[in-house]
Amino acid sequence: MIKAQNVTKIFTGRGQVVRAVDGVSAEIARGEVVVVIGPSGSGKSTFLRCLNGLEQFDDGHIIIDGIDLADRKTDINKVRREVGMVFQQFNLFPHKTVLDNVTLAQQVVRKRNRNDAEQKARQLLTKVGIAEKEKEYPSRLSGGQQQRVAIARALAMDPKIMLFDEPTSALDPEMVGEVLDVMKQLAREGMTMVVVTHEMGFAREVADRVLFMDSGKLVEEGTPDQIFSNPQNERTQLFLSQVL
Amino acid sequence: MTTGKAVWPWKLLLAVILIGMAAGVWGAVNRIDYTWRWNRVPQYFLYQGEDAVKIPFDGQIEKVSPMGDRVTVDLVAESGDKQQVEVDAEGLQVAEGDELFEGDTIGFNHAWHLGPLTMGLWTTLWLSACASILALVIGLLAGLARISQNYTLRGLATIYVEFIRGTPLLVQIFIAYFFVGTVFNLSRNVAGIGALAIFAGAYVAEIVRAGIQSIARGQMEAARSLGMNKFQAMVHIILPQAFKRILPPLAGQFISLIKDSSLVSVIAITDLTKSGREIITSTFATFEIWLTVAAMYLVVTSLLSQLVFYMERRLAVSD
Repeated sequence: MIKAQNVTKIFTGRGQVVRAVDGVSAEIARGEVVVVIGPSGSGKSTFLRCLNGLEQFDDGHIIIDGIDLADRKTDINKVRREVGMVFQQFNLFPHKTVLDNVTLAQQVVRKRNRNDAEQKARQLLTKVGIAEKEKEYPSRLSGGQQQRVAIARALAMDPKIMLFDEPTSALDPEMVGEVLDVMKQLAREGMTMVVVTHEMGFAREVADRVLFMDSGKLVEEGTPDQIFSNPQNERTQLFLSQVL
Repeated sequence: MTTGKAVWPWKLLLAVILIGMAAGVWGAVNRIDYTWRWNRVPQYFLYQGEDAVKIPFDGQIEKVSPMGDRVTVDLVAESGDKQQVEVDAEGLQVAEGDELFEGDTIGFNHAWHLGPLTMGLWTTLWLSACASILALVIGLLAGLARISQNYTLRGLATIYVEFIRGTPLLVQIFIAYFFVGTVFNLSRNVAGIGALAIFAGAYVAEIVRAGIQSIARGQMEAARSLGMNKFQAMVHIILPQAFKRILPPLAGQFISLIKDSSLVSVIAITDLTKSGREIITSTFATFEIWLTVAAMYLVVTSLLSQLVFYMERRLAVSD
């Protein structure tokens, strides 16, 4: 489903060269839930953003469902329809109601008519447990509610893959659970998911595979059991000892 | 510290200062022996004029038939053509059987006419409206070009903004009319509107640029991650939010434009300012007319700011 080969992303600025993602190769199968962990600044978010072209990478290939993002002829907008993304800061559209947030891209990008889009939106809002707020503006919602709307918004495009960029990091602790529950449900339904998170409990419970990144490199990968109970690499051990 | 501080002493002080200033002006004017003639002003808004009705051919008055305070006059030409006209009874100048030459006056009609101040205000309004719409279009395009990734577009927009902001509007109006207008054979109205629009457009461009850049980057990313292209994201996500933010500075710019439009009087467009000047040359009511003209500008700009205030509140529903 996703195949990353030697992906490299270099940031240059003020005379410094930072290899944010440094030769990462990974494969993610259909229906797999992969959690990416690592210390902050390890390049895991940047890697995730490369997967839907929000960040252009300098070297390597990312092949999504047979389409190579590194190919200049690739229509990135077409790829993005199939790859939903949920952001740390939610990034809901503040000038649109909850319902319009979920219907807008369906109408503009998928060219669905208003009725179909609304029907789909209501169904998804019900699924994430926030149907009664459809007429509200995002500013009236709590962080957890906003993030659930953001998940519904991404799902409305019928993506084949969902990317989560630290979806619970900006939430108050009591709201983390409600968002994770929605994500767990998605995982159970067989969605292909790549999740960057600091929620080790979620990783252990839901992930099929865990990737550990540090300084832009993919240091270790394995099942949650292998990574959490028996990490091989010294840096993985150090990181886990700090967070667990 | 408590919150319940009395405001009335300050209100009183404000009133005293304002009254004091008014009294000062009053006293100063009295010393120079100026005769106020406010009663002359209303006629420049609206006046009743006498329109002469003239005979269009050489001929004779066949019949004069009064109908209340109007009179119907039948005319017959030497060639035998007939025509009927109507005039006010008290303005009738002819009698049955009179022989008239082409252009002689048959009588007068009284009618209300808009005075030069009203006409000038109208000119100022439509001139400003056209210039504002054009400025908005120019400003939007130039603002987008300013943040474009294309070097050439960015360069063009930057040069435009810097040139226009760095030269006086009065000079630009002269250039637009006497240079560009002569080369391309433009009318003074086109030159005037063009100069105003290009001038305001440069400022609007900067406002638009700042507005777009003030929208969080995540908004564009969220829109693009849903598969929207740049144009769709701009139209549906970025610009609506930016517009809400730039409404106050934009309104300020358009209010400026209305006031700046008084400068087009230098290329002989009869706007409100030029009308005022023309009235003064015939009445010498300098003080009254300039104060009236100022008040008229003030009314227009206040109405505009009220309108914008109302729009701001309407747009605030999502806050």
